[in-house]
Amino acid sequence: MARRSSTFSESWHRVVDQKIALRANVKARKRYFRGELWYVLEDPFNNQFFRLRPGAYDFIQRLRRDRTVGEVWEECLNRDPDGVPGQEEVIQLLSQLHFASLLYYEQPSDSANLFDRYKRRKQRELKSKLLSIMFFRLPLFDPDRLLKRCMPVTRLLVNRWAALLWMGVVGLALKLVIDRFDAVTSQAQGVLAPDNLFFLYLGLVLVKTLHEFGHAVVCRHYGGEVHTMGIMFLIFTPIPYMDATSSWSFRNRWHRALVGAAGMIVEVFAAGLATFVWAYTGPGVIHSLAYNMMFIASVSTVLFNANPLLRFDGYYILSDLLDIPNLHTRSQQYLRHLVEHYVFAYQDSTSPVETRREAGWLAVFGILSGIYRVVVFAGIILFIADQFLLAGLVMAVVCIISWGVVPLVKFIQYLATSPRLARTRLRATAISVGTLTGVILFLAVIPFPSRFRAPGVVEAVEHIQVVNYTAGYVDAVLTPSGTVVEPDSQLLRMRDQELDLEIRAAEAQKAETRALEILAMHRSQADLEPVRKRMAAIEDKLTNLRHHQQALMVRSSQRGTWVSPHCNEMVGTWIPRGTKLGEVVCPEQFRFSAVVSQDDASSLFDGQLQRAEVRLYGQGGQDLQVESYKIIPFQHDRLPSAALGWKGGGEVPISAADQTGLAAAEPFFLIYAELTSDPEVTLLHGRSGKIRFSMEPEPLLSQWTRSLRQLLQKRYQI
Amino acid sequence: MSTLAQNYWATRIAVPDKLHQGLDRISHALFGLARRRNSILRQMHLEAEQIAEKSLSFKHVSDHRLRERLDELQQLYRGREKGREDILPEAFAIITEAAYRTIGLRPFPVQILGGMAMYKGYLAEMATGEGKTLTACLPAILAGWSRRPCHIITVNDYLAGRDAREMSPLYNYCGVKTGVVTSMMDPAERRHNYAQDVVYTTSKEILADFLRDRLKVGLCHQPSRRLLRQLLQSDRARHDGLVMRGLDTALVDEADSVLIDEAVTPLIISQAQQNHPLLLACARAEMVARDFVAGDDYRAVLKYREVQLTESGRRKLDLISSSLPGIWRSPGRCEELVVQALTARAFYKRDKQYVIQDGKIVIVDEFTGRLMPNRTWRQGMHQAVEAHEQLALSDPSETLARLSFQRFFRFFRHLSGMTGTALEAAGEFWQIYKLPVLTIPTNRPCQRLHAADRIFVDEEAKWLEIVAEIERCHATGRPVLVGTRSVKMSEKLAALLTAKGLTFSLLNAVKHQEEANIVAMAGAPGALTIATNMAGRGTDIKLGRGVAEQGGLHVIATERHESGRIDRQLFGRCARQGDPGSSQAFVSLNDELIRRFATPQVRGVLSGAVASEAPGARKVAEKSIAMAQRNAEQLAFKQRSSVLKMDTWLADALSFTGSNVDF
Repeated sequence: MARRSSTFSESWHRVVDQKIALRANVKARKRYFRGELWYVLEDPFNNQFFRLRPGAYDFIQRLRRDRTVGEVWEECLNRDPDGVPGQEEVIQLLSQLHFASLLYYEQPSDSANLFDRYKRRKQRELKSKLLSIMFFRLPLFDPDRLLKRCMPVTRLLVNRWAALLWMGVVGLALKLVIDRFDAVTSQAQGVLAPDNLFFLYLGLVLVKTLHEFGHAVVCRHYGGEVHTMGIMFLIFTPIPYMDATSSWSFRNRWHRALVGAAGMIVEVFAAGLATFVWAYTGPGVIHSLAYNMMFIASVSTVLFNANPLLRFDGYYILSDLLDIPNLHTRSQQYLRHLVEHYVFAYQDSTSPVETRREAGWLAVFGILSGIYRVVVFAGIILFIADQFLLAGLVMAVVCIISWGVVPLVKFIQYLATSPRLARTRLRATAISVGTLTGVILFLAVIPFPSRFRAPGVVEAVEHIQVVNYTAGYVDAVLTPSGTVVEPDSQLLRMRDQELDLEIRAAEAQKAETRALEILAMHRSQADLEPVRKRMAAIEDKLTNLRHHQQALMVRSSQRGTWVSPHCNEMVGTWIPRGTKLGEVVCPEQFRFSAVVSQDDASSLFDGQLQRAEVRLYGQGGQDLQVESYKIIPFQHDRLPSAALGWKGGGEVPISAADQTGLAAAEPFFLIYAELTSDPEVTLLHGRSGKIRFSMEPEPLLSQWTRSLRQLLQKRYQI
Repeated sequence: MSTLAQNYWATRIAVPDKLHQGLDRISHALFGLARRRNSILRQMHLEAEQIAEKSLSFKHVSDHRLRERLDELQQLYRGREKGREDILPEAFAIITEAAYRTIGLRPFPVQILGGMAMYKGYLAEMATGEGKTLTACLPAILAGWSRRPCHIITVNDYLAGRDAREMSPLYNYCGVKTGVVTSMMDPAERRHNYAQDVVYTTSKEILADFLRDRLKVGLCHQPSRRLLRQLLQSDRARHDGLVMRGLDTALVDEADSVLIDEAVTPLIISQAQQNHPLLLACARAEMVARDFVAGDDYRAVLKYREVQLTESGRRKLDLISSSLPGIWRSPGRCEELVVQALTARAFYKRDKQYVIQDGKIVIVDEFTGRLMPNRTWRQGMHQAVEAHEQLALSDPSETLARLSFQRFFRFFRHLSGMTGTALEAAGEFWQIYKLPVLTIPTNRPCQRLHAADRIFVDEEAKWLEIVAEIERCHATGRPVLVGTRSVKMSEKLAALLTAKGLTFSLLNAVKHQEEANIVAMAGAPGALTIATNMAGRGTDIKLGRGVAEQGGLHVIATERHESGRIDRQLFGRCARQGDPGSSQAFVSLNDELIRRFATPQVRGVLSGAVASEAPGARKVAEKSIAMAQRNAEQLAFKQRSSVLKMDTWLADALSFTGSNVDF
């Protein structure tokens, strides 16, 4: 109601002779909102509320069945010329009260009109039900009598002693949880497992029923009536709800806040009790149920109920504590006012706020809650889509329609037809279209750096694995691990008596053959050829054996650091041929071999890569420039190092069947990036880190589209 | 003494449908198009021709037999018996014959067609001179037979009287009594006339009587409640002084002007009320306002016609507020009052918005230029203007009831009408009144020669050329009718013509009867008539002797109107009933229509193009003018439907006042 509504109205004749009064059952209460006096009218029959300024209330309360509106207005005018609402305001006021069904009037109202209104209200309700399908409510029964009967008992629950008891129980339970934190966390991983879902749901229903009764009991305790209890389908999950809106008429805002908080208080208390049960029972039905109750009461309370950004309990508590009723609506109104007034230059827009502080709260709340809603619902949709693809799609469509299409259409309608913009329509349209174009241009045209990261390990470019060519027992380690070795330096000595014996046998055979050869030379020339062939074969064998014998001395083939962490344990053990004994690593040139997932691989082959940098774990501050890189155009499935896989604590999923921790769950591509040496960074073979590829700058819109597509492709194989 | 049923119907009104919204509106519009499809017209045309033929077969039936048959038919309609649709052709045929015997006119098939269309609830679009007066009789007689109240709405008192008089022999013959209600009648006379079967009246009279009746019954307007109360309180006058029999059938002549052009102005029943504090306050506020300096203390925003106070203005206001009487001392009310006084100074100009006659403010209609005595501006504003002119302040009038014509005509059970031009507004007729428009073909092919518009850059050139054209045409002895948009323009033209020494008649739609006579003579050889759009409506211009050979009446429009319909009405004055005739419009790019509805840039380009006489410039200019006209029509329609929406909303919001009519 604008301050400057005119004193006279052309429609005044329509109400001037009416004899109207407030309905007899309408109660009026004085209330202070943000330190300002208001009167709240309440109709207990239909839970309708209406708040009035003192001036308006002064007028309304003087209305009686035996006086006309005109008489009352004149009287008020003489009493308090400044405070009395103007004629236009009176008409507006009366029509609002009429719409709220708070008026008594002598005339039988136009009943067709009443029915029409009823029908429209029903339609509106249905529409809002369909639009808020995620909070669909189904009222079932009226718990008021039950609550009244329980009053003597419940009275014991709302007092100081109960609060102390609550604190005691919750405190002890908290201690218990901290004591057994590992058990709590380990069991938490199984909460969403299919075999636990039933218990989870059962726990949910139990906890929420207690929660709702908490509200109801406290509301009843302070004299509010609770008439509706039923089932709410929160994201298609039936849970109980009840209607404690009558607490809005409580004069004391702390009482209101307490009604709002009662649900959570009870819930946390139940969680405390459940903690004891859980802690002192062995695995079984009761144990799981108790655990699930704990889980729900704590997680749902923190994420949903206590969170003021969603319209659950926390919201109402905040609204009561800030003393701003209808926080959400008013914040939207305020934001709308800000836009209309400052952006669209609608001069007559009146601010719904009275103080700066309130304005601040409203603005912050409006923006945050908007963002939070989108985030939470996106999360919920993704979660559901993971479980049931079709349901997720349906929900996504519903959400897009109700939050995307409907507001957009409404906004366009508003721009095109709203009488509020009559004077500044051009400006408003220009700014809206301009902003939209600006945002779209910003997103679609201006290129932004586009990057992706991949895990990998540092490898020395020249590193060889030292392997024994000959099987044998390790005799001695000649060079300790970590020593820098020259080519040909001796690393490990092995021995193999069998080999020695074989050599000796071969030498004996050689001697024998030698003798046979001489014999054949003398006796039968015809035998000479086969004997010589045998001789050659034996010599071959002998050479081979000698070679093996020499190979028992393991040598480095290049310069580098001899790395063999386990070599000392090998002494005296039999090592089969081809066992990896250790590595000789050349410390001068390193490369980073990175594992690139298939999602990102497309950009690898497009040639869009511009730059790459490597950051090693533990040395985040230094970016290592990559001089050049080489993409191995072939897909791999064995990781260069187990440290990259899940088993080794890395981020690449690995196949469950594999024991070595090297087989990746999905094929990937390898990239070898040559690193420049940096005095600040010690490059060590096997050190893990991340490589960051900078691609050709690309507008955000196409980057996001690609990511979204990849997400959908990956999750739903679309 | 009326019967119970008649008493019941006296205050019963049909509750109009809500305006359709969204998709409903589209489907409703499609439905409307279906109602107007060509096959319906063809079918009805065929029927009408058969009826005309059939009427000839009654030629030799005696008066006595014919009346007997008429009586029988009347009984059928009176009793609303089932088979009466089947005898419709017979009824029409007999009435056709009766018309011939009584007033010497035999309705043409197209007139019968028009009558049938109206009977079936259509809006008949019939060209000027096709005999709409007679056409209206056909459905009116049928409605009269049923004894349901039937009203024929005409544009002015003169036409109501004339039509009733001319047609009464036909009505009498058919056993239907007629009445006329005009503005000068007292209630007893009105009651007598309304009691007749068919009543000729004007829209203003019928609405005013309706509102006054409603005020009389007050809150008990609901028929059953009213009856019950009358039965219970027998001592109370059984007759509650109603003048009307109720609303049932309305046949609206010149429907576009009544239902569209003048539909949104509400009719207000008011009485003067004494309000000394307001008068004092207005006088005081005017004194205060004199100290305010435009620009420093307040800004006048021309575009929206409002005044905004500046900071220094507000400071001044604080100083003087204590000198105001009573309730006006408070800052809010004080500001309201002073802003009102400033608005009166800034935007209400003498001789433009109002004139002063006998020490009183008389409002001038800005569009037609007509004086509107007995009209006042809203409460306080009138007094503020009076204070500004230093006249004696009149008591503010207190509204007792108000209703717009638009809403009122939606209350009829059976609404139909006829007009020369309706097609342009067919959508609106359907959407608001649920009236489908049917274009009735002319009896004889139209012989009008309509020349292309003459387009000028500036106004003076246009007027010179108009005068030259009038002179040229006048010299040949052809009668010329010049249409102007406003009284001011007609006077300007009159001055120009006087300077040339031409004699002419000037009509300003003030004295209807005289003007009708003058217009009737406008077809005489050598006649020269200047008329505003509304002047002499409903009167035929019959061609004088020898005029037809010269090419008939020549009509000149001096400007394009904001609605294409009104242009067509003017052109329709010539070439009626197959006579020859010609018409042409003179347009300048400075005309109000172009100024208001074309952007300055467009006008600039157009001026250049027209001045250079570039090829194609004419086409472009014509298109732009047509577009401006379309814009104007759309804007007007939007305004009208928003008024209706507002009215409906208000009625809804104040439904606790126990009324579904604005009271």
